[in-house]
Amino acid sequence: MSETRQTADDGQTTTDGQTTTDSELAGGASASPGTDQPLEVTSGETRERTREEWVEHEFEGDAKLSVSDLDVYYGDDHALKGVSMEIPENSVTALIGPSGCGKSTFLRCLNRMNDRIKAARIDGSVRLEGEEIYQEGVNLVELRKRVGMVFQSPNPFPKSIADNISYGPRKHGDLDTGLLANLLGRSDDDAVDELVERSLRQAALWDEVNDRLDDNALGLSGGQQQRLCIARALATDPEVLLMDEPASALDPIATSKIEDLVHDLAEEYTVVIVTHNMQQAARISDQTAVFLTGGELVEYGDTDQVFEDPQSQRVEDYISGKFG
Amino acid sequence: MASATDTALVSEDTSETEAVAAGAVGLAAVLFALSLASAFELVTITDPVAGVPVVALLGGLLVLLGLAVVGFGVGSRLGYVATNPRPTAGLVASVTFALIWFVVGGLVASQTLGLGTAGWVVASLLSGGVAFAASALPREDIGSTLPAGALAAFAGVVFLTGVIGPSWVWDLGWEQQASFNAEFTIPVLTAFCSLLVGWAAAKAYGGFGARGRHVGAYVLVYLNAISIIALLFLLVAFTVLKGLPGLFKGLALGAGAGPEVTLVGVTFSLPVSWPFVMNGVALLNDVNGVLPAIAGTIWLVVGAVLFAVPLGVGAAVFITEYADRGRFTQVVEIATNGLWSTPSIVFGLFGLAFLVPRLGNRKSLLAGMLTLGFMLLPLVVITSRESMLAVPDEYRDASAALGVTKWQTVRSIVLPAALPGIVTGIILGVGRIAGETAPILLTMSGSVAPPGSQTVDVVGGFQFSLSPPFVTNPELMRATSALPYQLYSLITAGVGESSNISAIDEFRWATALILLVVVLGFYAIGIATRYYFRSKLQHE
Repeated sequence: MSETRQTADDGQTTTDGQTTTDSELAGGASASPGTDQPLEVTSGETRERTREEWVEHEFEGDAKLSVSDLDVYYGDDHALKGVSMEIPENSVTALIGPSGCGKSTFLRCLNRMNDRIKAARIDGSVRLEGEEIYQEGVNLVELRKRVGMVFQSPNPFPKSIADNISYGPRKHGDLDTGLLANLLGRSDDDAVDELVERSLRQAALWDEVNDRLDDNALGLSGGQQQRLCIARALATDPEVLLMDEPASALDPIATSKIEDLVHDLAEEYTVVIVTHNMQQAARISDQTAVFLTGGELVEYGDTDQVFEDPQSQRVEDYISGKFG
Repeated sequence: MASATDTALVSEDTSETEAVAAGAVGLAAVLFALSLASAFELVTITDPVAGVPVVALLGGLLVLLGLAVVGFGVGSRLGYVATNPRPTAGLVASVTFALIWFVVGGLVASQTLGLGTAGWVVASLLSGGVAFAASALPREDIGSTLPAGALAAFAGVVFLTGVIGPSWVWDLGWEQQASFNAEFTIPVLTAFCSLLVGWAAAKAYGGFGARGRHVGAYVLVYLNAISIIALLFLLVAFTVLKGLPGLFKGLALGAGAGPEVTLVGVTFSLPVSWPFVMNGVALLNDVNGVLPAIAGTIWLVVGAVLFAVPLGVGAAVFITEYADRGRFTQVVEIATNGLWSTPSIVFGLFGLAFLVPRLGNRKSLLAGMLTLGFMLLPLVVITSRESMLAVPDEYRDASAALGVTKWQTVRSIVLPAALPGIVTGIILGVGRIAGETAPILLTMSGSVAPPGSQTVDVVGGFQFSLSPPFVTNPELMRATSALPYQLYSLITAGVGESSNISAIDEFRWATALILLVVVLGFYAIGIATRYYFRSKLQHE
């Protein structure tokens, strides 16, 4: 099945992908340019064309999030090219790939955080439980309540630990602790305490901070701050939790705590996690999506299958550390 | 490398020569302080100190210092002192010495020796050239000590021999009366020479080379910083000393000593009577005071802050958080910067031409408040915008990701994080407007020395009625006095003499002191507020 084809978007000739046989090409790509024009690849990367069946992932039950033909442009830069994938409910989906491959961009499309970047333009469709989130009249507040997010570097607000947790629900009007509410006897102080404890317990932070809930959150260590951010995201009772390399700024012990936490969270929540660390993805995720240079989703499937028997030669090269 | 030198990793203990150099640095610092003291006439140059006239003392110390420094440099060159000099003192030092000696040579030739233009030009070039050669050509230990030490010794000799003595005057011979006298010249020359020698001695102490340059710069920077702080302190101390006698005149303590006041329906006598801050100016007063002006100043600042801060912070929120960054925000930024540097008299004219006719067509407290508010506005906008831009975007992202709306984010995250910066801006602005005279002069000035009965009572001045406009406040619409305005008219216009104020000089200085205290009081409130908001944001 070796044949040459025109790729759709850059018109360059490449050989079709061979998953197991063409080791010559894999080895020789960086050494000799050969007759083929290079696709957008980093050095050491095999050239091949992505095939649709590589990104098909069968699972039982309904998809929590289904993305189809998602394109993202930053000005003239085509950051994400026609990505389609379906993310099952109550599972951990890892997005891996080298730097600049669009995995964070993809993640930020799932709760429309890319709207905050003026230069970004998004085409395509993302459905949350069948409802299109890129259409007129979408309530961003409700969307982001249901799709929470944790960022790469811990970013707690300069407030007390308890205020950080209760910030979202208070601002949504779900909890009222204002002066007026206090005077009228409608204050939700008890509910706030309950929420703080529940969220902190879910984020495995309660035992470490329960005696200093009124201290400033900036006094916590980096790992504690990141778990606080997870607790803050859980406090709005989301259905989906997006995590953008949540452990990349943390030491190994804090990282393993976050990993355990992600594993536990998958029982109740749909977790989508971006990571640079392939061992981490292999340890914690149920399915893995591999993005490679150029903003393409190259392979998506069960984590075991992707790591042990990848269909794409590029993915195998990436996983075995030949580039990236 | 040709210039590479072997440097010991560990310097040995303080040697005697190092102690001499350190002593020279210390002596230079003392001399600098002494010259500053005589510049401010804390020490008179003709007075003897320990039997020696101050001029002779300064001259002798300069000679001593100069010789010590030159001796150190020569000793280092001849190898008696262990140092690590570079091959040359450097271009900057050489050019500086050349310029200094160019001026010295010219002045000596034209003023002391009386040579003509050609004569002093030649002498200048000659001395400048020699100084350049002396600092640029030899090794650093000679190059940086010889010109400096020679200058100090030369200045000392000039003072000692009386060429520039206590009665020396250099009439510049201009159309206007202009001359340098000894009281000014001698301290300034001494301060300059002691700085120069102190620098050279500090270099010698550091053993020249990189470490010597570091120590030299360190001494210069420190002397500079200390003299600036000393100057500020001197200014405040001067005002306080001059103002204290008038301020506490007639002060009495004890139960029932003070005037009666009514608070929340209870009338009682204050336990302190402080006439200067509790009285106005009246014919029958034992001690006249400035109560109306104090009240006027405080109400002015309060009114201006209440007017400008909400408007300014609101504008800053709009241009920082809502408006697209582009031409519009640039124009607003340039305009606010320009407004902040607009002279206050222009704001005063605006108030006089625009506000006064619309507010009852007479000068009033309200017009003054609004004028000062307009002056404060640009600074509040600038500093609020800067501190909002300094709030990390991560906070905004985190808030948006929790589904919180933009306004809620601004209100609960951005503004609290920016508050310390905003308060700093308000402090700076209040410091400026509280001391403004020109706008007050044009928009609200009433009587120069008002009696105590004319003290504004804005809170008590509100009157409510059943017919429109329902609320009126005649106190706001009345002309009144303020401290800077009162001070200005008392001093420049000589109004005080006609106002039955006895001991007018004491009264003026006490007014100045009270103004200082009121402004510093606003500062203290601002700084306490900033501290409070900052401590809420930070983990200690």
